[in-house]
Amino acid sequence: MSHEAPTVTAQLREKTGSRYAHRLRKNGHLPAVIYGHKTDPVSISVDEKVVLGYLHEGMHVFNMEVEGGEKQTCLVKDIQFGYLGDNVIHLDLTRVDLDEEVTVNVGIHFVGEPKAAKVPGAVVSHPLNELEVICKVSAIPDQILVDVSDMVEVYTVGDIELPAGVRTDIDPETPVATITYIAEEEAEGEEVEVGDEAAEPEVISAKDDEDGDDEKKDDA
Amino acid sequence: MPRMPKRVKFRKQMRGKLRGNATRGNYVAYGDFGLQSLDTHWISARQIEAGRIAAQHFLRRQGKVYIRVFPDKPISKKPLETRMGKGKADTDFWAARVKPGTMLFEIAGVPEDTAKQAMARIAHKMPVRCRFVGRRLAV
Repeated sequence: MSHEAPTVTAQLREKTGSRYAHRLRKNGHLPAVIYGHKTDPVSISVDEKVVLGYLHEGMHVFNMEVEGGEKQTCLVKDIQFGYLGDNVIHLDLTRVDLDEEVTVNVGIHFVGEPKAAKVPGAVVSHPLNELEVICKVSAIPDQILVDVSDMVEVYTVGDIELPAGVRTDIDPETPVATITYIAEEEAEGEEVEVGDEAAEPEVISAKDDEDGDDEKKDDA
Repeated sequence: MPRMPKRVKFRKQMRGKLRGNATRGNYVAYGDFGLQSLDTHWISARQIEAGRIAAQHFLRRQGKVYIRVFPDKPISKKPLETRMGKGKADTDFWAARVKPGTMLFEIAGVPEDTAKQAMARIAHKMPVRCRFVGRRLAV
């Protein structure tokens, strides 16, 4: 967290349930819940635009100012998406202390273009777009910058320079970015003429039956 | 060549019904951008293959295309001018069951505008309404 956690004002939700949550969303609010630290969970609603703006910037920690209550530091624990996966429909926030150690996923931001990727047929893929890190709440980075301009073939988790106070338990050999070379024939999308009617998959049950029959014959 | 399973337990299946939205395979998992279905439909192996070829012709060895659906459902069809009855017909084609939210294709290793154009070409080959999506927020 390279900056102060933003303060977000929240309203208490007295009526819970999908119907009331739907009404809130319609009015530009986002239903959320705060739990943790052996205190009762509190159902709240926050301004959708404000919170989503912060989340898109990669922020994980907020100072929640719930009406009629004290300010509390909260970490975004879970985001619930709508069925199409784009609209955020609910937030889970957990109470944390700034010097508490937590595990969070931080987005990886790739910088630069590898020289090896300029060869025709070379494709840079990013198998890992977010990294699970362990650090103090006050040290959660908004994003992890990965400079791949000097990358040869594979850039692994072990090659990432994590900020001070941040560590990860992910296997250092896990690839973060790889360069693969696509063969020319594959790229052309070989329009091989189809004998699809001729090709039939093997039927497991039929094979078993045949085996069973054979055994019976053998027995006879 | 259109995809199909290598081994199946049964040669034919009942038609079934497609209800609700996708709860699995509904986010960009492997690539940077994805093509998401907005409708419910069977997508045939030929349509998937047509989409793949369209994208790869356009990308010309620039990016990697991931196919996120697999046609594992045999669809049978009686031959023309055949009387009803005499049992279930042979498999005509293989189809993937697609619900709203299902990620159909993903692309990695290309800029967003190129991926968008490639996905538009795939979308033309699909029997469903599609939309272009990116990765979800990290928490």
